[in-house]
Amino acid sequence: MNIYVWLVKREFWENRAIWIIPAAIVVLLTLASLFGTIEATFFESAERTRSMAGMMFLAFGALFFAAMSIYSYWYLLDCLFTDRKDRSVLFWKSLPISDTATVLSKLFVALVAIPLLYFAAADAASLLAAFVLSVRAHSLLGNALWQPEVWVQLQAIWLYVIATTAIWYLPVTGWLLVVSAWSRRAVMLWSVLPPLALILAERLFVGTHACLRVIGERLLGYASTAFNPHATEWADQWSGNPSSGAPSAWRILDPWGFLSSPSTWIGASVGCALIAAAVQLRKRRAEQ
Amino acid sequence: MSSLIQARGLCKKFGSQVALDHVDFDVQPGRIVGLIGPNGAGKTTALRAVLGLTSYEGELQVLGHEPFRERAQLMSEASFIADVAVLPAWLSVDHAIEFVGGVHPRFRASRARALLANAGITGRRRMRELSKGMKTMVHLALTMAIDARLLVLDEPTLGLDILARRGFYDALVNDYMDDTRTILITTHQVEEVENLLTDVLFIDKGRIVLDSSMDEIAVRFAAVAVSDDALAAARAEQPFHERPMLGKRILYFEHPNLERLAALGQVSTPSVADLFVAKLTRGAPA
Repeated sequence: MNIYVWLVKREFWENRAIWIIPAAIVVLLTLASLFGTIEATFFESAERTRSMAGMMFLAFGALFFAAMSIYSYWYLLDCLFTDRKDRSVLFWKSLPISDTATVLSKLFVALVAIPLLYFAAADAASLLAAFVLSVRAHSLLGNALWQPEVWVQLQAIWLYVIATTAIWYLPVTGWLLVVSAWSRRAVMLWSVLPPLALILAERLFVGTHACLRVIGERLLGYASTAFNPHATEWADQWSGNPSSGAPSAWRILDPWGFLSSPSTWIGASVGCALIAAAVQLRKRRAEQ
Repeated sequence: MSSLIQARGLCKKFGSQVALDHVDFDVQPGRIVGLIGPNGAGKTTALRAVLGLTSYEGELQVLGHEPFRERAQLMSEASFIADVAVLPAWLSVDHAIEFVGGVHPRFRASRARALLANAGITGRRRMRELSKGMKTMVHLALTMAIDARLLVLDEPTLGLDILARRGFYDALVNDYMDDTRTILITTHQVEEVENLLTDVLFIDKGRIVLDSSMDEIAVRFAAVAVSDDALAAARAEQPFHERPMLGKRILYFEHPNLERLAALGQVSTPSVADLFVAKLTRGAPA
C-alpha cells in the first residue's frame, strides 16, 4: 500500500498542473468577485437574488468540471507516454514497482485525486465569492448568498457526479490509457483517429452506424443515465420560477437507474478490459 | 554455486529479424561480466530480457525469477542503469532520494547523500538544471545506494566526455565493487572496462561467439608479432585473424602451441578489444 502513496506523490511532483490549474481558477474567480461590477438589476427581488445565488454556484461548479474534464483527458493521454518519450521509463522500471501498480496509481489520480481536488477548489471558490460579494454589496444582497441548503445539495451532486462519471466514462479512460501506453507519438491524434476511422469504415463498407451509436451514447448518454428527467426542471426552478418552493437536488439524482442500467456495467467491463490491456502494453513497451 | 543468471535457448525476434538466436550463458555470483558486441548484435536485447523489460522465448532465470513475469520482485534484488541521463527533467535530487527510499527496501538514503556530496551535487536541484555527466552521477549514486545482488549497466557512459566517464568508473570501482557484487555491463568503450572485467561474453548476430573468463583468455589466446620472413611459418600454425602493425603482422591464435610461436616472434596476450576485433572480423585474414 505504501508504494501507492509514493506513486501518487510522484504524480503530484511531476504534474504540478494538477493543483496549479484549479488554484489559478480560484484566484481568478475571487479577483473577479472582488473587482467585477455588480449589476443592481439582478437583485430586484429576494427571489431573483436567491436564484442568482444558485445559478452562480452551479456555474462555478460547471466551470471547474469543464476545466477538470479537459485536464483529465490530457493527463490520461500523457501519463504513460512522457516517461517513454524522455526515456525515464528506464529509471522507473529499475525500481521494484509492478506495471500494474504504476497504471493503477495513475488511474487513481485521474479518477479520485483530481476530481476531489477540483471539488475542493470549486467549494473554496464559491464560498470565497459568496463572502466577497456579500461584503461588497451588503445593501443589495444581505446574506442572500449564504444558502446552506443549496450548498449541501451541490456537495451531494458533486460527489455523485465524481463517482458516477468515473464508472460511466471508464471505457473512455481505459482507451486513453491504452493510447498513452502504446502510442509512439501524437497521442492526441491517436486518441481520436481510430474511433473516427472505425465509424467512417463502418459507414462506407457496411452502411450501418452501430459504432457511431455506441460511441455517441457513451459520450453523450451520461446525464440521461445518471439523472432523472426532472434534472432540467430543477435548474429551471433555480433560475425561472422560484415561487414553487425550494427545489430538491435529491429528486434529480438517479442512482438506482444508473446502477441498474446494463449500459453502465457493459461500459465498466469494457473499461476494465482496456485498463488490463494498458498494463500489458506498459509491460512490453520499455521505450518509445 | 548456482548461477545468478542462467539463459538457455534464449530467443527474441522483432518481426522477421532475429535479435537473439538460441543464446545460452551463465553469470556466476561475484563476477564482473562484459557483454561485448557490435551494434545490432543483440546486446541490448539480451540485457532487456535479463531485466524483464522485454518478452522472450526460451528459458531465463535471474536471481531465481523469471524476469518478464516478475520484474518487480527481481528489481528488489537487482538494479540497472540502461542508457545515460534518463532521470526525468522535473525530478529534484531530494525527491529522487525520497522516492527510491520509499519504494525500495534495500536503498540507503544516507549512502546516496554521501555519494552525491562527494560529487558536489546538492539536493534541491532538478535534473533539468544538471549537466549530462552530473545526471549520470546522480543516477549512479541512487543505484550504488541500493544493496543489490546484481547490477546491470547498459552503455552507462555513452556520449559522456572523458572526465565524466572516468568519474563514473572511479566511483564504481572505489565505492561499489567488492566480492559480493555481480555486475553485467555492456559498453562500446571496451578499453575503459577491460581491467575491471573478470569474464567476457562476445555476442554477434544474436549468438554468443565467446564465453570466457579473463584468466582463461590468457591461456587460450595468443597474439604474435611476426616479421615478414617468419610469416609463412606462422601462418602454418593456423591463426584465426591477422592484421598489419608497424611493418610487422600480428597473428592471433586460439589454443596456441606457445613454444613454436615463441620461435616465430614476440608472443603476448591480446587485449579484449583486439580479441573482439579479431573474433568478429570475418572472412580471410586482412
